[in-house]
Amino acid sequence: MIKQIIKKQALLFIRNPMQIVLLIGLPIILIFILGNALGGTMDGSSSPINAKIAIIEHQSETKQIQQLLDETNGEPINEHTAIGMTPIQAFTSLLQHESLEEIITVEQIPLEQKQNALQDESYTAIIEVPPSFTYDLLSHSLLEKDEAPVLRIYENEQQPIATSIVSDLVDNFQHQLTLQAFLKQQSIDQQALAVESSIFNATKKTINQTNTISASAYYTVGMTVMNVLYIASTIGAVAFMEKRMYVFNRIIIGDISRWVFFTGVLFSGILFSFLQIMIIFTFSWTVLDVSWPNISDMLLVSLAFSVAVGGITVLLTAVSYRLHSETITNVFSNIIVVLMSFVGGSFFPFGNYSSLVHALGTITPNGAGMTAYLSILKGESFMDVSTHIIYLVLFGLTMTVIAATSFPKRGQSI
Amino acid sequence: MLELVDLSKKFHQTYAVKNMNMFIERGEVIGLLGPNGAGKSTAISMMSSLITPTTGDVRYLHKSILKSPSPLRKVTGIVPQEIALYDDLTAEENLAFFGRIYQLKGKALKRRIADVLDVIGLTQRSKDLVKEYSGGMKRRLNIGVALLHEPELLIMDEPTVGIDPQSRTHILETVQRLNTEKNMTVIYTSHYMEEVEFLCNRIYIMDQGQLIAAGSKEELKQILSSEKIISIQVTNVKETFTHALSEHPLVNNIKMKGKEIKITVDKKANLFPILIHMTEEASIELLSIHVETPTLEDVFLHLTGRALRD
Ligand SMILES: Nc1ncnc2c1ncn2[C@@H]1O[C@H](COP(=O)(O)OP(=O)(O)O)[C@@H](O)[C@H]1O
Ligand SMILES: [Mg+2]
Repeated sequence: MIKQIIKKQALLFIRNPMQIVLLIGLPIILIFILGNALGGTMDGSSSPINAKIAIIEHQSETKQIQQLLDETNGEPINEHTAIGMTPIQAFTSLLQHESLEEIITVEQIPLEQKQNALQDESYTAIIEVPPSFTYDLLSHSLLEKDEAPVLRIYENEQQPIATSIVSDLVDNFQHQLTLQAFLKQQSIDQQALAVESSIFNATKKTINQTNTISASAYYTVGMTVMNVLYIASTIGAVAFMEKRMYVFNRIIIGDISRWVFFTGVLFSGILFSFLQIMIIFTFSWTVLDVSWPNISDMLLVSLAFSVAVGGITVLLTAVSYRLHSETITNVFSNIIVVLMSFVGGSFFPFGNYSSLVHALGTITPNGAGMTAYLSILKGESFMDVSTHIIYLVLFGLTMTVIAATSFPKRGQSI
Repeated sequence: MLELVDLSKKFHQTYAVKNMNMFIERGEVIGLLGPNGAGKSTAISMMSSLITPTTGDVRYLHKSILKSPSPLRKVTGIVPQEIALYDDLTAEENLAFFGRIYQLKGKALKRRIADVLDVIGLTQRSKDLVKEYSGGMKRRLNIGVALLHEPELLIMDEPTVGIDPQSRTHILETVQRLNTEKNMTVIYTSHYMEEVEFLCNRIYIMDQGQLIAAGSKEELKQILSSEKIISIQVTNVKETFTHALSEHPLVNNIKMKGKEIKITVDKKANLFPILIHMTEEASIELLSIHVETPTLEDVFLHLTGRALRD
């Protein structure tokens, strides 16, 4: 019987081309439009990212080192150990490394030009090295004095992807500096160069990962997780029609358990969500070249996300049955989906929101699904994706349990 | 076969059905007659195990269906008042879907679908979408779905509402044939007394949630045996005339419909001379006058003081 319910739903879809257009055509069009509109900053096909970085130093690094050497009289630092200790120089040369040549342009500009540079939209980020940065850093790491100083970054919000790369770079760099400090404190002789190359590797990884998320890929994911939510309201609306039209009662009188019907609705929700995802992904793969580095992870996330949407489907069905009203389904499709998509990041990258919105975003199933898909696109490991998968499945199960408890019991239906 | 015992259903504070007692024997065609809102559909929902009664019991073959509805469900076909079909599926697809509910499959299902399409006269249109059907065709398919599993008991809730005369005749004849040829037991709900009068061996009359009369057509009309109805046609109706008429001691009841007036009087009363006198007095011309045989409509009017339909 469950098979029949799903088959019937498939027939209903086929007979309503308008529905198919809304569920599949519309997201595809949106992927096109948004993918192209933001192609300049997010398109990874040609030159993926062009980050222009300005570095402003308040004081010369060598002077600061000299000052430190003078003050400590060479203990525990001597000229030999201090040679490798020019963090800003190391950082700058890292940014200028040949493999980053196409992506990053670095300019060192004097302090006086700072205001001009801030006005200049062409800079992705401006990194300001505070006065006595090197001095503070070295005395922190070698003499265990003071707080570690921090680089100041001004980011250009119009280049979200490029700025995120730069801030990743800076984060990595600072992290490595701390590590280096730790190693020094433990008196482990560590060549600065080795540390440097490890920063470099980490950075390169970030860039390569981010690289693959083109605007098309981003919006393929964003529009898919948004539009799959409409499966829940579409099937929920059909289920309510079945009640209104007495078809549900006919099934009950036919001595079929209401739970068979319930399961049929749940499975329809899961299956058609999954199909919709596959169709949109296939399209964006063949036409827009959005390919998945790890197909089995992508399939797992899709399945988990479909389970979550299936849960929403039965919840909408149960509530509308309980209240004898379709309002909940309409509110869901007209308002809630849009809100959820907004906080879930379907329209703009997460990074542009406050952390509260970000937190809200990841608890929405579409936000969790989106984060998981983006992780796969970035080439992150299954471990990074698995928490989202578990969350999505649990979300779907919770919805299903709530739906089952509120679904009308025997003798209550009419 | 089926028995309703003191059956009541309360929605919020009001009774939709109150203390209903009824029995149906195998092979009977039972009519349930009553105006809109009388509680017919509620009664049917209870006797088909769809909703639980507030109090009372429904028994199939002397066993309560409240705890175990399956035996009744398996042998019952329900034709709901609503057209419970998928508009976007063809007749055949609808029948296939609902047939599966009754565990029909494969060749057996195909054969039953063909049979049913034949019975309801939709074989030619079986591959058309239901939404392209006329009201009458939808009604017929609505009945067809209930016939798929060859039920012993067919419960029909106003199956002819809002359809053309041909479809209506077709439906009535189909029901009659199912009863005579397959010995199908039928419960037929309607607010058209002609239909019930045509089809049913026994009739229950219901109003405001309660049964107000029951019996065969003849038995019900016996209720009116002490009265007769005189129907007159006049050129124009005057207030003074109708008032005087209704106040007359021999007249029990009058009902006006345009220039026709129906007067209920005691069987033995001789109203003719009085009528002629009164019309002359009011200077109204009497066009026709005749004594009617009572219909179930009149019985209902007699019992409730209201017409079955407006
Ligand atoms: N689910 C319900 N909730 C509340 N009142 C109802 C419900 N179903 C029917 N009623 C009321 O019960 C009465 C009988 O309705 P119904 O059985 O549909 O009458 P009929 O079928 O004879 O037209 C009506 O007054 C109707 O408003
Ligand atoms: Mg009714």
